[in-house]
Amino acid sequence: MTGILPTLTETSRITLFRKPALFAFVLVFTALSVSSVLAQQHLSRRYPVRSNVRVELKNISGTITVESWNRDEVKLSATMESPAANVSPRQTGDGLIVDVMADNRGRSDIGDVNFKLQVPVNSSVDLETKRGQITVSNIRGGLVRAHVSSEGDIELNGISASQVFAQNLIGNIFFDGAFSRGGTYQFQSGKGEITIRIPSDSAFSLVAATPTKRIALGPFWNDGLKSLGDGRKYVGDVGDGRSSVLVTTFQGSITFLRK
Amino acid sequence: MNCEKCQDLISDLVDGSISHQDKTTLSSHLEECLHCAEVRDDLQSIVGFCRTQQGQYAAPPNEKALWLRIRNMIEAGASAAAPAPAASPRSFLNNWTARSWELSFPQLAAMAAAIVLIVSLSTAVGLRRWQSGAVDPKFQSSQNSLSVGAVDVRNRISQQQQLISYWNQRVEYNKARWNPQMRETFDRNLAVIDQAVNDSFDSLSKNPHDEVSEEMLNTALNEKLSLLKEFAEL
Repeated sequence: MTGILPTLTETSRITLFRKPALFAFVLVFTALSVSSVLAQQHLSRRYPVRSNVRVELKNISGTITVESWNRDEVKLSATMESPAANVSPRQTGDGLIVDVMADNRGRSDIGDVNFKLQVPVNSSVDLETKRGQITVSNIRGGLVRAHVSSEGDIELNGISASQVFAQNLIGNIFFDGAFSRGGTYQFQSGKGEITIRIPSDSAFSLVAATPTKRIALGPFWNDGLKSLGDGRKYVGDVGDGRSSVLVTTFQGSITFLRK
Repeated sequence: MNCEKCQDLISDLVDGSISHQDKTTLSSHLEECLHCAEVRDDLQSIVGFCRTQQGQYAAPPNEKALWLRIRNMIEAGASAAAPAPAASPRSFLNNWTARSWELSFPQLAAMAAAIVLIVSLSTAVGLRRWQSGAVDPKFQSSQNSLSVGAVDVRNRISQQQQLISYWNQRVEYNKARWNPQMRETFDRNLAVIDQAVNDSFDSLSKNPHDEVSEEMLNTALNEKLSLLKEFAEL
């Protein structure tokens, strides 16, 4: 036993040796954390707006999160990674425009900008980014547009806008909401799963296409729907076809779920 | 002083830029040589005429006929001086090089127009060949396999492919400035789109009348164009 377990003197020596090492580790870790926090810049601004304000945001890289609240006010928060981008929001007659692309023209290497927007529930939101996830929750305005030029998931929760456009290249698209009468809804992905969760009494005219043939219409399947190209495309009306729904993915599945 | 050296100095003499020493030597030669004196007199009269007219010349009554006469005279002189055509294989070359190349304005304009036309045509042909060479071989082979009934599709795709080539060049130009992460993202996404384009071509080559594949191909090409445009502005 004594050969295996260290003696009291050896233990003390190990503790003495380990203490400075542990201290150095903590010091380095703290320094790194502090430097990474210092490398970030924060922006937070509030804008008084109409209840049906239109918010346009064009980002280059980073996440965009939009939530609604019961105030006629937009709160914009941004966290900018180093090298920090210039962000200069502009308030126009009917809305707010944030254009990171225009504000940083000529700058080739800027860090991610992660946005969080709190907007009135009846707002229209038009969101673009070259890369990064877009999340929009509880919007009931005229338009919700989420466009990721390359990769990034799109998650739209509690949406009942009359026009919804969600498009990305690599990433999933999830929509949870309701289709308005006469509304237009388009979901397009290059390589991603598209999931649409809507009330069971939803009525819409559907065009859904994917070369993978993985189209699951679930409770919304009916005999009036036509299958084209050996199941790669479905066209037809669900209910009285009050709204128009177009869903396309090149390498992924399309799934309709009932709320 | 010989005649050759003298005639070199005559223009300086007429201009008044000749040195004192040269002027003395030249004058003594001109007193002795009638031929060089005639050259001096001709040049002086031409320069004098130009100075008095100050660039405003009345056009000859029939400019074309005048040029024709001058050319005939020159050619007659050249052919008289040159040996018979059969005597030497270089006679055409000699004739060509000995020929006066003073051209009228319409001749110059026609020549310039011809040069512009030739350069434009060769540039257009070169660009076309270069663009067709830049296309993905798989794209080309799939395109070739499309039936005659798909000519419209092929034309449309060809037009779109030209646009894609243009935007692709712009992206390549700017790409070096992007950070590595952005470059990787772009390449990854372009690969996904190219995969979709190639899959659609494969389907269309198997069934040229497949509307779903055609739609997918159109959508994929539009997506590719859109991706290139979006990243070209970075």
